[in-house]
Amino acid sequence: MNKYRIMVIDDEKIVCDMAKMSLEQEGYDVETFMNAEPALKRLAEEKFDIVVTDYKMKGIDGMEVLRTVRKLYAGTKVIMITAFANLDAAIEALRSDVHDFFPKPVKIKELKASIQRALDEGNK
Amino acid sequence: MKETSDGNILGNMKNLVGHLKSFFGLSRKQQGGRLPFTEAFERFRGVLDNNNRALEIITDMGEKLGGDYLFDVNYIKDAYSRLSAVVAGAISNFDTLTRGRHAQLLGVFNRINSQVTGMIYDVASVTGERVFFYEDISWDMSREVGGKNAALAELRNYLRLDVPEAFAITTRAFDEFMEHNELTAAVDNLHGGGGPHEEKLARLRDLIMEAEIPPGVGSDIEAALDKMKKRCGDPCFLAVRSSGEDEDGEFSFAGQFETVLNVPLECEAVKRAYKKVIASLFSAKAAAYQERIGYETGKMKMAVGCVVMVDAVASGVIYSSSPDGERRTLIVNATWGLGESIVEGRTDSDFYRVKKDIVPEIVNEKTGGKQFMVVSRPGGGTAKVETPVDRAGKPCLTPEQVKELAGRAISIERHFRRPQDIEWSIDSSGKIYILQARPLRIEERAAVETGPAPRVERPGRILMKDRGIIVQKGTGGGTVFIVRTPDDLEHFPKGSVLVARHDSSNFVRVMPFLSAIITDTGTPTSHMSSLCREFRVPTIVNAGDATGTLKQGQKVTVQAAEDGSTAIYEGIHRDLIEYSEKTSMKMEDVYEYRKKRFVLRYISPLNLVDPLLDNFSPERCKTVHDILRFMHEKSVAELVDSARYGTSMLKRHAAVKLDLPIPAGIIVIDIGGGLNIEPGQGKATFEQITSMPLRAIVKGMMHPGVWNSRAVSLKVNDFLSSMMRMSDITSGDSEYVGYNVAVASGEYMNLSLRFGYHFNMIDCYCSENTRNNHLYFRFVGGATDIVKRSRRIELLATILREYGFNIKSKGDLIIARLANISSDELVGLLDQTGRLIAITRQLDAVLNDDSDVELYSRNFIGGKYEF
Repeated sequence: MNKYRIMVIDDEKIVCDMAKMSLEQEGYDVETFMNAEPALKRLAEEKFDIVVTDYKMKGIDGMEVLRTVRKLYAGTKVIMITAFANLDAAIEALRSDVHDFFPKPVKIKELKASIQRALDEGNK
Repeated sequence: MKETSDGNILGNMKNLVGHLKSFFGLSRKQQGGRLPFTEAFERFRGVLDNNNRALEIITDMGEKLGGDYLFDVNYIKDAYSRLSAVVAGAISNFDTLTRGRHAQLLGVFNRINSQVTGMIYDVASVTGERVFFYEDISWDMSREVGGKNAALAELRNYLRLDVPEAFAITTRAFDEFMEHNELTAAVDNLHGGGGPHEEKLARLRDLIMEAEIPPGVGSDIEAALDKMKKRCGDPCFLAVRSSGEDEDGEFSFAGQFETVLNVPLECEAVKRAYKKVIASLFSAKAAAYQERIGYETGKMKMAVGCVVMVDAVASGVIYSSSPDGERRTLIVNATWGLGESIVEGRTDSDFYRVKKDIVPEIVNEKTGGKQFMVVSRPGGGTAKVETPVDRAGKPCLTPEQVKELAGRAISIERHFRRPQDIEWSIDSSGKIYILQARPLRIEERAAVETGPAPRVERPGRILMKDRGIIVQKGTGGGTVFIVRTPDDLEHFPKGSVLVARHDSSNFVRVMPFLSAIITDTGTPTSHMSSLCREFRVPTIVNAGDATGTLKQGQKVTVQAAEDGSTAIYEGIHRDLIEYSEKTSMKMEDVYEYRKKRFVLRYISPLNLVDPLLDNFSPERCKTVHDILRFMHEKSVAELVDSARYGTSMLKRHAAVKLDLPIPAGIIVIDIGGGLNIEPGQGKATFEQITSMPLRAIVKGMMHPGVWNSRAVSLKVNDFLSSMMRMSDITSGDSEYVGYNVAVASGEYMNLSLRFGYHFNMIDCYCSENTRNNHLYFRFVGGATDIVKRSRRIELLATILREYGFNIKSKGDLIIARLANISSDELVGLLDQTGRLIAITRQLDAVLNDDSDVELYSRNFIGGKYEF
């Protein structure tokens, strides 16, 4: 069976590295990017099942990532994480069809559960 | 938080310290006068409130940085800025309360603060000195003198162990050297532009060797050498060693950098050796290592240690806890002459396994052949020579020396509170010198839940079985590649199994690409072994004749199993490999995570345990937690004194002992309506307690069956653990320090309890106005090992959660709180809390298994108190 593919975008290395380690442990194929630009280029080349992205980044932000994913792949779910527990941001993201929205620090267990739910929904 | 500029936060912190300084200036004027009791009490509450908030932040940081959360540096910045603000608040109240008698505490906090902010904001070293002799190095200078110098100086200055005369050349000197020769640009160039990386590294090393030592650095080194000459006479030689900023901290960098041995005490020779060590920062293997752990080459600043050579008869390495998981034993490796051959894994050394008892006991020993030894050459440098016949094959240590070394290792492990990798030498007079101590990474059982290990259906031929010593457990498969010379590494095929005659730290260059290592000789205490554990490469050393048995190009699976058995199967068995990978992945392997989490080292550990020991002083506070602990203990003592000598109105009720049927040893300071006793009465019975919360909690403590006065026997390792956490009580500085003290009014109670090795604090306001009511419970410490202590915390958490408390816990610390509850409900909860305090006093010693936690908590909730 092919592994599910997950892309993680966050401008902090520690978030990328920790996410990669813990998601690979679940058997996913994980690619990480500290900058959204190369991440979007990669997305144009290949489909990912899940994209986990930081909301606020220098240059292209999480909402832009979300819009690009929506244009490219209907089935790819986007999970947004953010350093700001900002209600407006959460509402904006959720209205834009984001699968889930987590303030940082994010409990890894909850992120994993959210990914699993997204994959289950996709398989229905 | 990204919008908050770092500069602002840093600026605020500096302002905070400045504000405190002016505050302290004022408060010292009050020295000598006694604070009115009401003000003392107000300040006391100020200390407690801030302390409690600080501990909640520390607990939260421990939780968020514990590996279960994705966090970023903004979280750390935000949490620490909140923490430093409340600690500053606590200190300012504390200083007023104690009338400036512990004014040094501000300086201590400043030092911790500068360490933490330095780490978070990546700010350079603080003193600006270029050279420090070891006697002038304190525990918080590792950023300036590097990890290796700092650890060794600490052993000399705090543990009073014999360490050779030495001085450190600081990271400040390194910065000047790099800037003076415009090498910083060459380092930046490593990461950009064209050309092979190896060539750029080589060019950079050449530039460093040709570079000039800046005049300031040069004259400071010369002055240090003159001083050294006066101390050591002539002839005298130095070992010039690397001491990188992060070296020997969270990462070992074992064997990655140059050590130049036996350097004459001459300026030019030392300067040359200095440059050689600096250049090794950019060696191919060091660069590969840094890349492997996600460290950008060139980011590390290199301090250097200049340590007087010991005229060594024998030398070696000790692992203060055996790396095979048998933590109650330690390992000693020894050889004749200098220890270089052991750490490079090139000698068949003597091996001892020693049981870590109060009197260490040798449980296993093996004398090695030691055909060769490394010795100092008379004019400088070292030579590998044949061991004289009367010594080759003979043990180089007496059993007494082994035990003496073991004793040193146990005390070093106890001091640093984690297993250590220690280098030592013994000179011709039999004196033991410690040359290095660094944290030893030891495999903990993986926390990942996995199924049972798969059975190998058709294991194929077993090529080797139960040979050698496991350095790193795990399973790896690939094609055998036999490395005979270092040049062979250039052609190492990715994914292969490295097989070699000897082990070598050079193998780090291919560690990212290999699946397993097997060597014919070697010890589990070599540099390579440290690296294999760090990178979790399945490794077996001293396997006999692997280079002969295994064939170049042969496909094999190497299994170094959990149970200590080893097997090399013919063929590649993916099921075994995948199972092993899944069980061995840990967050600790993520470099960024370990590096960021390192900041907690200055925040959460509690070193200051016993108020009756001499070291219970501001100067010995190494962490924020120590500062909080110190303030709490001294504040309670201060309040007791203040009550004793306070106003006449309070005097008659001050500091009264509770006369209870249980030996709880509680002193009550009545601040109004807490006790109903006659003036001058020194004791109060339970019936005379009129403080609603105190009465309820004491009632719970006296509940039939909960106060067990029988001594609970500690197992040997619990006993050792308690010994390591606290030495014998030797002296006291105040009549009330260490007592259990309750400050009580009719509606309020603050109860500080210390039973043996743990501390319990309960703060409660219980009035008719529900909105004002709260119950705060804090518990930390214990005598047993951390596993059992954590079980007790788990048990407390389970029970308190059942009663509706909000819980935060980490390691052996728990904070539980409740607010907005009616007095009726609160009285009931206090009763239960009292029972819990009584019953958990010694409970950790009997929590032998995780399942006991559930059983005992169910029993407690069901009202059964037999354990």
